[in-house]
Amino acid sequence: MKNHVIAWRNIWRNRRRTLITAASVFFGVIFAAVMSSMQEGSYGKMIDNVVKFYSGYLQVQQEDYWDNRTINNTFLLTDSLLREVEEVPRVTGTAPRLESFALASSEELTRGVAVIGIDPVREAAITDPAKWIISGRYLTPGDSGLLIGDELASYLRISIGDTLVLLGMGYHGVSAAGKYPVRGIFRYPLPKFNREFVYLDLRQAQELYWAPGRITSLVVMVRDHYDMPEVRRALRERIRPPLRVMSWDEMQPELVQIIASDRMGGRIFKAILYIIIGFGILGTVIMMFSERKRELAVMIAIGMQKRTLAAVLFLETLYIALLGVLTGLLASLVINTWFYHHPIRITGQAAKAFTDMGIEPVYAFSLMPSIFLNQMITVFILVMVISLYPVVRIARLDISKALRG
Amino acid sequence: MLIAVSWRNIWRNRVRSLVVITAITLGIMAGIFSTAFMRGMMEQRMDTAIRTEISNLRVQDSLFRKTSELRYFIPGGTGLAGRLDTLPHVAGCSPRIVVQAMISSAESGTGVTLTGVMPQEERRVTDVAEKLIEGEYLTGVRRNPVLISKKLADKLDIHLRSRVVITLQDLHKDLTAAAFRVVGIYRTTNTSWDETHVFVRYDDLRRLTSLPPEAAHVLAIRTDDDRFTPELQERIRSLAPGLEVLTWKEISPELTYISAAMDQYMYLFIAIILLALLFGIINTMLMVILERRKEIGMLLAIGMSRTRIYLMIILETVMLTMAGGVSGVLFGTLLAKHFEHHYIDLSMFGKGLEQLGYNTLVHTHIDLAMLINVTLMVMLTGILAALYPAWKAIRYDPAEALRTE
Repeated sequence: MKNHVIAWRNIWRNRRRTLITAASVFFGVIFAAVMSSMQEGSYGKMIDNVVKFYSGYLQVQQEDYWDNRTINNTFLLTDSLLREVEEVPRVTGTAPRLESFALASSEELTRGVAVIGIDPVREAAITDPAKWIISGRYLTPGDSGLLIGDELASYLRISIGDTLVLLGMGYHGVSAAGKYPVRGIFRYPLPKFNREFVYLDLRQAQELYWAPGRITSLVVMVRDHYDMPEVRRALRERIRPPLRVMSWDEMQPELVQIIASDRMGGRIFKAILYIIIGFGILGTVIMMFSERKRELAVMIAIGMQKRTLAAVLFLETLYIALLGVLTGLLASLVINTWFYHHPIRITGQAAKAFTDMGIEPVYAFSLMPSIFLNQMITVFILVMVISLYPVVRIARLDISKALRG
Repeated sequence: MLIAVSWRNIWRNRVRSLVVITAITLGIMAGIFSTAFMRGMMEQRMDTAIRTEISNLRVQDSLFRKTSELRYFIPGGTGLAGRLDTLPHVAGCSPRIVVQAMISSAESGTGVTLTGVMPQEERRVTDVAEKLIEGEYLTGVRRNPVLISKKLADKLDIHLRSRVVITLQDLHKDLTAAAFRVVGIYRTTNTSWDETHVFVRYDDLRRLTSLPPEAAHVLAIRTDDDRFTPELQERIRSLAPGLEVLTWKEISPELTYISAAMDQYMYLFIAIILLALLFGIINTMLMVILERRKEIGMLLAIGMSRTRIYLMIILETVMLTMAGGVSGVLFGTLLAKHFEHHYIDLSMFGKGLEQLGYNTLVHTHIDLAMLINVTLMVMLTGILAALYPAWKAIRYDPAEALRTE
């Protein structure tokens, strides 16, 4: 206990130096914490966008479907399968889908589109297309109409009520053709979806492609991507070939890699920052030691244990660092929380650069505890390493020489 | 003389000075290397974009650029291309027919951008011919040859010599289709682009779309040196009134935006590193003047002007900082130069990078302007760091300072 008090008092013997050193730690912590928060926030958003607008967290598919995404690799959705999946704990919802390609023609023009047959009620609980409808209305169960993205609608020059002809290839090679009125137009934050997606009621899609009762995937949702691995494991125990379970990271390995590479880049930068700050603390510790050499020698000469002295010096380093870390964490908590609730929207040219890469133009922040914990751990490790200096020097201290200094 | 004194003063406490110098060296080295790295990545991206995807200049009807409709072709386009090809600094001018179509194999179908090219001319403009991994580049007497990417081939589950059907809407708005045979498979470092770009012969596509002879949608031009692009743009504009002539910067402003933004980020990065170093330098110099209180008091007492003392401290700080700065720049440059010739392998992030269009084998890129800027920034940091300690030094009362033990 006494060591702590002594250490604490010692660091205030030179207020300015202590404060400046603590300030450098404060700066490093704030910077690293805010940067990490922004990164994790962005990743969360990117995953969210892909998962919530398209793939879902998990999908049950026919085992050949992913390598060969054709209408021939569909499977029959049975009630027993549905029940099995929904009984897995932490599954928040499921939705069946029939996806395929078609040529969509309005009176003027033709464009290739991705047709997604959905169950309007179940899909609402998952990707909720209704939320993004800007004109017309959402599909009702059994609806004979379709939903189309705003960019596609403007390219094809159609609006609500106009008819769209869909032409494609059906199950086992039969030609697929159908006419559908436009029920509603949607606008997602990602332009790619607005250019390529067309939503049909599932039964209508199954009729179009001559695949009654068949689906390409059963989308399974969980609360967030941290729950996903557990649910995937449980599902894989129950689902047997010819069916297969895929998770979003397996379906989008590019996204996983983009996130991983960015994360690594961030780690490298933070490492450099902390190394520099570490040198700053080391400099301070060296100064503190050399100016008290005589004093320390006197203490040892009159009987203080070298290791007690070493402990005190270690605590001094720790306290200076702690000063910086705690204030830094507090400040970064405030900043991150503020931006968590008020994400930064990007506009103009920058926004286009983002959407071109398929990312929503917004800076989201994350409040994951590990962000803050990591800073504490890093600084603690830094302090441990730096403290080796005074400990080694105390151990090697030549008392007789130092006394005369 | 002040310079020599300042320099020698730094080395009066070797350990302390070396700590600061090492910190600065590491920080600057990291800053320079990462800037060179990012620059290298950007250069490669822009190079790929120009060489493979968009070319230096494009001539097209402005309505075509906005709507991509078949009817907005350039009448006499191939003739114009021939004339433009003779202009100085034009390495090649390739007329193309571009149409949105659907390509289907026995298994699957998808929408693509179909480009009808004249192989000889096209080879002089883009390097897709060099990216072939199988087969040949649309030459040969085969009827209806088609060139697709590996990504597309995998998606459609086809290979060399497979048969595909291409369906599109011709000039009279009729849906028409024809069988093509895959004669070549290519692969660039931009898989998103690969997936949607398919090449056939100009003549075959013109017949299929019922376009009149000599019609073209886009004339793609490659210049032998990008610096001549703006003046060529002017010339071509006068030769082709009524048509839009755009440089790659105007076609893809996001590319230049990303490049400029990346530059800004890198300078920000270095500024943050310097800020972190600032604390350490200030602390060190404060210690220095405290140690030398008596000495400074003496100098003041024997008549050295306060201005001279102020300058001396600033000079000392700047020299200390620059010692680290220069060695940091040196080592950083050496490291970057090494990787200019030996690439850095990022293939573990391959899929993700390629989706965004970046190369996985990165060369770093250094330029003099960058090094000069960084050196100036370091010098500025030294001056800033010196302001407070120097101010403290000249406020010493000589009488009191002289009495320091």
